[in-house]
Amino acid sequence: MHSSSNFKHLSLPLTISCVPTKSSPQFNPKIHLLKKPSSFLTISLTPTKPNPQICSKNPIFFSSSSRTKRLGLSSISCLIMEEASLDERLSVVDKVKCLSLEFRSLSEPIDRVKRLLHYASILPPLCESAKVQGNRVLGCTTQVWLEVRMDSRGSMKFTVDSDSEITKGFCSCLMWVLDGAEPEEILSVTAEDLADMNVGLPKKGRSRVNTWHNVLFSMQNRTQDCIQERKRALSLDDLHSLVIRPHAHSGGPSGDGSYVESEVGV
Amino acid sequence: MITTTTTTPLEGAVRKLPCLRSVARRNPNLTYRSFGLLRRRYKFRQLHVSASAASSSPSLVDDNPKLGPGSLGHVTRPDFPILLQEINGSKLVYLDNAATSQKPTAVIKALQNYYEAYNSNVHRGIHYLSAKATDEYESARKKVANFVNADQAREIIFTRNATEAINLVAYSWGLSNLNPGDEIITTIAEHHSAIVPWQIVAQKTRAVLRFVNLTEDEVPDVGQLRDSLSRRTKLLVMHHVSNMLASVLPMDEVISWAHDVGAKVLVDACQSVPHMVVDVKNLATDFLVGSSHKMCGPTGVGFLYGKTEILCGMPPFLGGGEMIADVYLDHSTYAEPPSRFEAGTPAIGEAIGLGAAIDYLTEIGMQQIHDYEMELGSYLYDRLSSVSDVRIYGPSPSRTVKRAALCSFNVKDVHPTDIATFLDQQHGVAIRSGHHCAQPLHRHLGISSSARASLHFYNTKDDVDRFIDALKDTINFFTSFK
Ligand SMILES: Cc1ncc(COP(=O)(O)O)c(C=O)c1O
Repeated sequence: MHSSSNFKHLSLPLTISCVPTKSSPQFNPKIHLLKKPSSFLTISLTPTKPNPQICSKNPIFFSSSSRTKRLGLSSISCLIMEEASLDERLSVVDKVKCLSLEFRSLSEPIDRVKRLLHYASILPPLCESAKVQGNRVLGCTTQVWLEVRMDSRGSMKFTVDSDSEITKGFCSCLMWVLDGAEPEEILSVTAEDLADMNVGLPKKGRSRVNTWHNVLFSMQNRTQDCIQERKRALSLDDLHSLVIRPHAHSGGPSGDGSYVESEVGV
Repeated sequence: MITTTTTTPLEGAVRKLPCLRSVARRNPNLTYRSFGLLRRRYKFRQLHVSASAASSSPSLVDDNPKLGPGSLGHVTRPDFPILLQEINGSKLVYLDNAATSQKPTAVIKALQNYYEAYNSNVHRGIHYLSAKATDEYESARKKVANFVNADQAREIIFTRNATEAINLVAYSWGLSNLNPGDEIITTIAEHHSAIVPWQIVAQKTRAVLRFVNLTEDEVPDVGQLRDSLSRRTKLLVMHHVSNMLASVLPMDEVISWAHDVGAKVLVDACQSVPHMVVDVKNLATDFLVGSSHKMCGPTGVGFLYGKTEILCGMPPFLGGGEMIADVYLDHSTYAEPPSRFEAGTPAIGEAIGLGAAIDYLTEIGMQQIHDYEMELGSYLYDRLSSVSDVRIYGPSPSRTVKRAALCSFNVKDVHPTDIATFLDQQHGVAIRSGHHCAQPLHRHLGISSSARASLHFYNTKDDVDRFIDALKDTINFFTSFK
């Protein structure tokens, strides 16, 4: 019988490195994440020794190469989600890949659970008043509450919480990937993209208890709602401008006042 | 008499087995019928002697002889090949039997034999294979009828599962017999499959759906139920054994009260038929439903028992082949039950597999299965209730209150899904977490979910010990993270 106390350190820590040009032969195997040539990113799996002083709770180390340092990335980070500069420079697709790689590198189930619990601990809690039925993500075996809004620049903002720590860990990962992203990016993520991050579920599990799936779908559905709402609001703005200045032309997102007029007339 | 160490031998490493007479002494409940089965098995196993097993802790035998080596669990386990595997690096401990049971080799072979040797459609062809398939399918119906002591095989209707059987009664009997103001009485502890169809039917017929609460002991309140019965009551829908509370209801009494006011009764026997003797004649129930997959049979088949005279008066549930007598362009005449309710090609191989499962269970003896599960269930309850911060739902066992062999529980400040995930990932222990399709009951208990460990006769004391040890480790793990 296993015991959580005699947990062994992982043999395959990750090295994340940023290289400014195309793939470099010294990083192997490579995953090219960004399409933009200016910020080509390579992630390589290199066995390095864990340093207990730096991260005692989590056995995995993301250590950067000297090239990374040159690019301004902090030299060592335990967890990809805590790498602030990565956060800014990675797209949603890249973040999904990074997380997949991170979780795939954790071959022991207990390590994946520990990692999720750590991510759960850094997720800001949702205030109690937001834990209402209307914010519930349905279909999970745990309770998940999700608040979704679109900020003034059109990016999506999420707040999420759960009564289960492991689920909260899942949610924390989703937040890292999707919070602040453009609606189109959010809608492009599929449940399969998240399969490698699953804990306790088959790789491609589309089970009714699959929390990833349900929370992601909920985020996407509510993003769709926000898009529709914004469209309606913008149309109304146009309508207002039409009412106030009946002869004004264009300016709205449709670029055509008469179109708005005819739509209103339908 | 609770031991905290786990020294039970693993299966395959069976302790040198005592001669039959001493087995009988240690298992006074062995029935004559099951003796043959045991004798056959012991013949083979006396050869497998393991040193580690032989030196197993004496407490194992002393504590409760019925749970020691040679117990029903130890003897039957090798019949379930699925149990002999590792999950996430640990030996599988399967404790999710209330969700579905595992299948013995005999059932797997019956399915394979059907598909390999005589797969054919039933009731339709005159060729050899069809005749053979029809015979076996109808023989499975007889086996189910005998198993629940129905008068006639035609009182058994094969459905996809218990859920479909309940829906059959709801749509066929319910829609044609319920009128505005009529009452359907049920309990808040029903499985969703015994609530939702009646909500739909009540809405359509404007009948009233009434719910009986729990007593303080967390058992459906049969006193309140008795008081709720009146001439307006047309149907009582009730589980026999609760899939969450582990309570066992006195159905014979309850049914007689319902009949006194002229109401019909549907018994949800999903959690009783696989674990104890259920006799529809003794109960005098009008309808009773069960699911094959919970009683060691294949998925995809379940059954409805209905009294002949009631079934004969019911309209079809689904239209199609098999259920008609004659079809004209403007109308059809319907076949007699059971065909009337079995539209289309049924799950032939699966029904035959269910027949094989019944043969298997019958050979062991349902009384013996029940007796063993009572012992193992009490052991599970005792050990689980000794773990700190654990709250078990349902009645406390006593000399008069018997619980079924399952425990739904919560651990203070740890989510049941987190527990189930960790048990699976770290220890290979399979339990259920969630609302177990009993949300109203969970709401009543003031919780949104719970964990559930449920046993079957092929579980052993070792399984329970390993679950408890794993649970303690799980609680320590999550507590250390706080
Ligand atoms: C008490 C009870 N009733 C009904 C059902 C439904 O069974 P099925 O899903 O096989 O139709 C279950 C299954 O969990 C149950 O435990």
